[in-house]
Amino acid sequence: MIQRNSFKRKTLPALAMAGPVSIWMILFVTLPMLYIIYISFMSRGVFGDVVYTFSLDSYNTLLDSTYFKVIVKSIKAASLTTLLCLLIGYPFAYYIANKPKEVASKLIMLIMIPFWTNSLMRLNSWLLLFQTSGPINKFLLFTGVTDTPLNFVYTNGLVMVGLITSMLPFAVLPMYSSIEKLSKSLLEASADLGASKRTTFFKITLPLTFPGIFSSIILVFIPSLGMYYVTDMLGGGKVLYIGNIIKNQFGAIRNWPLGAALSVLLILITGLLIFIYTRFAKIEDMEVV
Amino acid sequence: MKKTMSILLTMILIMGLFTGCTGTNANSESDKAASSTELNIYMWQQYISDDLIAKFEEENNAKVNLSYMSDNADAITKLTAGGGQEYDLIMTCDAYMESLVDGGYVEKINFENIPNASNINDSYWTAKEYCVPYLMNYIYIIYNKDTSPVEIKSYNDLINPALKGQIASIDGARNLFPIALVALGYDPNSVNESEIAEAYEWLVKYNDNVVAYGNAEQNLTNGTASVAFTYDGNASWAMSELGKDNNLVIADFENDPVQLGFDLYVIPKGAKHVDLAEKFLNYITDPEVMAANLVEYPYSCPNDVAVQAASEAYRNDPARDFDYKQNVFFQEDVGEAITIYNDYYQKLKVGE
Repeated sequence: MIQRNSFKRKTLPALAMAGPVSIWMILFVTLPMLYIIYISFMSRGVFGDVVYTFSLDSYNTLLDSTYFKVIVKSIKAASLTTLLCLLIGYPFAYYIANKPKEVASKLIMLIMIPFWTNSLMRLNSWLLLFQTSGPINKFLLFTGVTDTPLNFVYTNGLVMVGLITSMLPFAVLPMYSSIEKLSKSLLEASADLGASKRTTFFKITLPLTFPGIFSSIILVFIPSLGMYYVTDMLGGGKVLYIGNIIKNQFGAIRNWPLGAALSVLLILITGLLIFIYTRFAKIEDMEVV
Repeated sequence: MKKTMSILLTMILIMGLFTGCTGTNANSESDKAASSTELNIYMWQQYISDDLIAKFEEENNAKVNLSYMSDNADAITKLTAGGGQEYDLIMTCDAYMESLVDGGYVEKINFENIPNASNINDSYWTAKEYCVPYLMNYIYIIYNKDTSPVEIKSYNDLINPALKGQIASIDGARNLFPIALVALGYDPNSVNESEIAEAYEWLVKYNDNVVAYGNAEQNLTNGTASVAFTYDGNASWAMSELGKDNNLVIADFENDPVQLGFDLYVIPKGAKHVDLAEKFLNYITDPEVMAANLVEYPYSCPNDVAVQAASEAYRNDPARDFDYKQNVFFQEDVGEAITIYNDYYQKLKVGE
């Protein structure tokens, strides 16, 4: 009788609340992930099919200098994107957080508005703006800054612009929420005790908003490692990061085991970052507004 | 009360998760014996006139479902993974036909039901019993005669350092490696690893001159590139886009052959609506129908009778006005050597 009661009181509500999500996660996250790991240990067939015999070929190929270079390059690019997003995003988040509520919500809205347009459209518009016969080049020629049109498109620089504009909101929002939560009384106390604004910022504000900064890092770094379509569109197929390589292995080149092994590597990098994160901050701080 | 409600709602939620899986295939079994009323085609997007499809639907009182591929590899995946379950016609290209026939992935076609197929030029037809050629593409070089620093007469002109950042190119291992192999004097379908390695070295220099892969025709018309390695259909688009100001010319090749590729329809093994698929193939090889299709999609066409029936604008298209049309090579199945190509291709794309 007691057992039945506790089932009704504890297990059933928990099942009701978490059940659907758990089923969803198992069906659409865990199983595909296990399948990816499984495929990564298989071999590739001549016809681009997966041959179900065990092999470590794909992981050996990963050690090949070609792929190693791409992985390093992707991590570098993702780090730079993250750094720039933080440098642009933090002052902005700080500014918004210190505005009255109504103004702040309008400013947040401004960040979201570009996202009402499809991301491919936005990327394409960067191409149109910067292309040889585009408005920016026309302006530069008109003002005499340059005599010949400058080549902006299909460069690492434009890829970086695309990545930063796509990722900026994910950097601003968590930082905003943690700056906004910061108790004003701590800042007043710091001022009362004679600390300068600068000291207060570095000794109080920055350390206390660190969980927000770290969730921004995770939210920006991980997707920018995998956003292959930005490099595809703005890099003209000449700038390749790990996401493009994975896409190519599943598409044109048809080496699924290698693609899977690269995906596993990406999952490991992500896992490592989240592990570091849990060391720094409690999981409940990792939220997006 | 609240509790029962919450349990009820959860039950509904959970049931909702599984209902999506059933009930969709109900109508596909019944219509096998009688003549089919449904035709499922898998092909390239922007490659067949919607009006002609609508007319076919009306004439045969049938529904045509078009699905689109984004890569030749997609079609191969569909064909090798039992494509007949889903599709009645799949588009692929000549290079894969040998493997597809050997692997038993395609049905033999009964040409008694497709009399119009005789309009197609025989010399363009590989694996004749298993496919019907649709349109074809020359992959050649065009350039802007005003802005290109080099007058191009051979593939080797493309690795001239003066062209740095000037070339807009199509992508893909089996499009890029053949031109390197031809430039080096080898068989464009070589399976010899050392030759492919040499071709890779050649392509590294080519890659330095490439500004972007893909969208070649747009990069030509907006001035980003002055040379393009592309399909004649796309060149036609670029030339008509520029209209009177067209300053794009086809490279005047002296000796090097250009690649000619076919897109063709096959019936995947186990297709369910073969009768309607055959009717469709007969319809699309009809000269009048194909001629109308060419107005909208002005690609090269192996259907000689249709080309004669086509509009004057099509027949006088500057993108098809070059005199080495007979000097072509085809992409052949390279068997296991495809992995060598792919590995070098990956290295080419990654390298810096």
